[in-house]
Amino acid sequence: MPGVESPLLLDSVTWDGGIELIRQSPPVGAASFSITFLAPAGWGQEPAAQGGRSRLLSALLTSGAGRWNRAELARRLDALGATLHSDVSPENLSVTLWGPEAHRDRLIPLLTESILHPRFEPLELARVRRELTERQMRELRQPASRAEKELFHRIFSRGHPLRETGFGSPASLARVDRAALRRELATRVHSRGSRFIATTRLSAEEVSRRLSRALGDVLEADLPPPPEIPPRARGSETPQRVELPGNSQSEIRLGGPSLVRSDPEYPAAYLANEVLGGRSLLSRLFQRIRERRGLAYHTGSELASGLWDGCWVVEAGTAPAQSGRVLSLLHREIRQLGKGTLGRAELHRIRESALGSIELELEDTASAHGLAVEVAESALPLQHWTDWPAQLRAVSPAAVSSASLRALDLEFASSVIAGPK
Amino acid sequence: MQAHNGGVHVEQLRLGNGLTALLAPMPGAPTASVWVWYRVGSKNEWPGMTGASHWVEHMLFNGSPKYPKGAMDRAIMGVGGYLNAFTDVDFTAYLSTVPASYVTLPLDIEADRMSRATMNQSEVHRERKVVLSEREGAENWPEFRAEEELWALAYRRHPYRWDPLGYPEDIRALDAPRLAEYYRRFYGPRNALVVVSGGFDRAAIARFIRSRFSRVPATGEDPTVREVEPVQTGARQTDMTGPGTTPFLATGWAAPSVTEPTAAHAMLLDVLLGGETRLFSTSSWGSRGDHPSSRLYRRLVATGLAVRASSAFGPRVHPGLFTIHAQCAAGVPLGKLEAALDRELERFAHDGPTRLELDEVREKIEQSTRLAYEGATRAAFRLGYFHTLAGAGLEERLLRQVRRIRPEAVREAARAIFHPARRVTVRYTPQGS
Repeated sequence: MPGVESPLLLDSVTWDGGIELIRQSPPVGAASFSITFLAPAGWGQEPAAQGGRSRLLSALLTSGAGRWNRAELARRLDALGATLHSDVSPENLSVTLWGPEAHRDRLIPLLTESILHPRFEPLELARVRRELTERQMRELRQPASRAEKELFHRIFSRGHPLRETGFGSPASLARVDRAALRRELATRVHSRGSRFIATTRLSAEEVSRRLSRALGDVLEADLPPPPEIPPRARGSETPQRVELPGNSQSEIRLGGPSLVRSDPEYPAAYLANEVLGGRSLLSRLFQRIRERRGLAYHTGSELASGLWDGCWVVEAGTAPAQSGRVLSLLHREIRQLGKGTLGRAELHRIRESALGSIELELEDTASAHGLAVEVAESALPLQHWTDWPAQLRAVSPAAVSSASLRALDLEFASSVIAGPK
Repeated sequence: MQAHNGGVHVEQLRLGNGLTALLAPMPGAPTASVWVWYRVGSKNEWPGMTGASHWVEHMLFNGSPKYPKGAMDRAIMGVGGYLNAFTDVDFTAYLSTVPASYVTLPLDIEADRMSRATMNQSEVHRERKVVLSEREGAENWPEFRAEEELWALAYRRHPYRWDPLGYPEDIRALDAPRLAEYYRRFYGPRNALVVVSGGFDRAAIARFIRSRFSRVPATGEDPTVREVEPVQTGARQTDMTGPGTTPFLATGWAAPSVTEPTAAHAMLLDVLLGGETRLFSTSSWGSRGDHPSSRLYRRLVATGLAVRASSAFGPRVHPGLFTIHAQCAAGVPLGKLEAALDRELERFAHDGPTRLELDEVREKIEQSTRLAYEGATRAAFRLGYFHTLAGAGLEERLLRQVRRIRPEAVREAARAIFHPARRVTVRYTPQGS
């Protein structure tokens, strides 16, 4: 059982306006702290005509704020040994501050100012557009990212929040102007659906006091409603082939829609994915495709279960001539899992590995902080990380097989092979 | 012998068979990290044997007498641990991080595979396909292709001219007996460094290491690389084309080895130009993204010519390269970007950094080092990396030098390094652009 100050034990306070702050103790011996601001402003709900808006906004939130331009902000962070970075997913946009706990009180204003008063300077807007334009090109021409992009287009219909990858098109990026960014800031970032996650020696009340003093009642816009999820469409057994001449390797992606994180079968589905390809060296894909047959250097699987919907993706990179054979093996492994081939010993090994690895996350502030952010992103209870072992231990081999039929459902799956002919 | 590194207390052990071990206990830490560093990398290979160090690294995961194939993965990962390895030009490193109570497990595995890894014909043949697949995956990235070409262009004699992944032709031709011979020659206590950090009892682990590793025969050769690269007397360049997005430039200049007095100057140049604090940062290889206050960013990215621009001085055992990479923004011709880079380098070599600029960079380095030893894995990496490159005390020595260097000395270093006759350039233009 974790001790009183274990980073696995989270607590929280809620401000008058409804904003929640989740607080976590730092790991033993850590001299750093971290605070993440999480807003419901991911790209999943942006209209196609404004594709790229969330990524633009995310980048500009760390590109100058208040009286500091981007270079000045960076100098201040450098001088205090800290970093400020932003990230974005279909559901959320986040800004994370990390640095020495000793400089915490000088660093927190850099975070709050970035959230409150981003400058959206025209030159910075142009710079981020240029970077995203190059990323759009990379998505189309690099086999791994192209295969993933095409897969999402095959498995999610128009309007689905997981269909796009958030980079938009050159035309949609050009349409996102400062006014659109300011609207997004006011309605989705400064909203009551936003939260803070802090890993620090300060108490939740002390962090809250420092943040709320700076932020006042700015975070007051109503929480945007969740998107409507279109019905699932049947998948196709025939892979889509995307020819990208000049490359050396073909990238295979096979996947489909999956469970939401709140689904009662999620713990069993999580283990199904770990058995299949999520638990790297121990997984079936690694053992059977790489270790037994030498067909690929990288192969694995991912289950991404969000608040609105989920998806699963299996991947492998292989020589073009053997891509068909590898794809067949990926299909076979998924089918096998659903046929009850999982024994107690294999499940025990995977489960104990998954549980043991949580302790590794407590090595430093940044990785422990990731556990707390996951609780906030997935709307999990504060005691999630102390309850999780019992939830996983309650799962039987039959339950894993059964969950795999829903979570890794081949009926709604499609596949893409991108690479040289 | 004892030393302090970033506040971490370190004890050094020396065994009769030549093995050196560094112990860095971190009381209360939930994890323990075990790294074994071998001073063998692609610098020790020769034509026909390129890629052997990396391939041997793969083979060490294919079993040993006590831990047959798959057993070490199951043992480490079964308790929630993590294991991996990587091959560099100068060294090969194996790492495992486990919950602290299991610290003896990776030590036992490392002792077993230090000289008794399985190298049979069928496993070597199967792993050949995996190694080739790893290389083909890397070739899907234009940056890898250009980097490989850059080093091939810069070196004509020294083994730094090939990538640790090796040439595909050599990987296809190399057989199990020759790979096993390579392993037997370079692996062993005399050519290895064991580093343990995290939550463990120092005396107990010292006893365990003595007991377990003393049984390993005193093998392992650390040969000096005898090829000396002749001084480059004229600029070299090549044009490449292939898949990609926008054109980019990879440039390099001959740079000092890590033990030369000007290595610290080159490190400062790197931070001034590209912004990364690298060895002095909290991330193992020092990549933390954009650096808007750096010279290259201000001249190339902020002006709209490039989408990214970076410099890199990677300290090496032998003289390496100082490199600059810059990628065009869409629609910007490569020549325009290259001309802007040249102007900035000329300006820098003429004027040097301002005192304020240098003070800021020094402060950035000082602050970066404050948290550089947080966590057992990071601490073990840093201790092993510096020690493997140039023995104990390298990190402190470089930091001391960095604190003392004057702006004029940085300018002189820039003039010496960015000499037009010692420049190599790869211009990469995507197909169809």
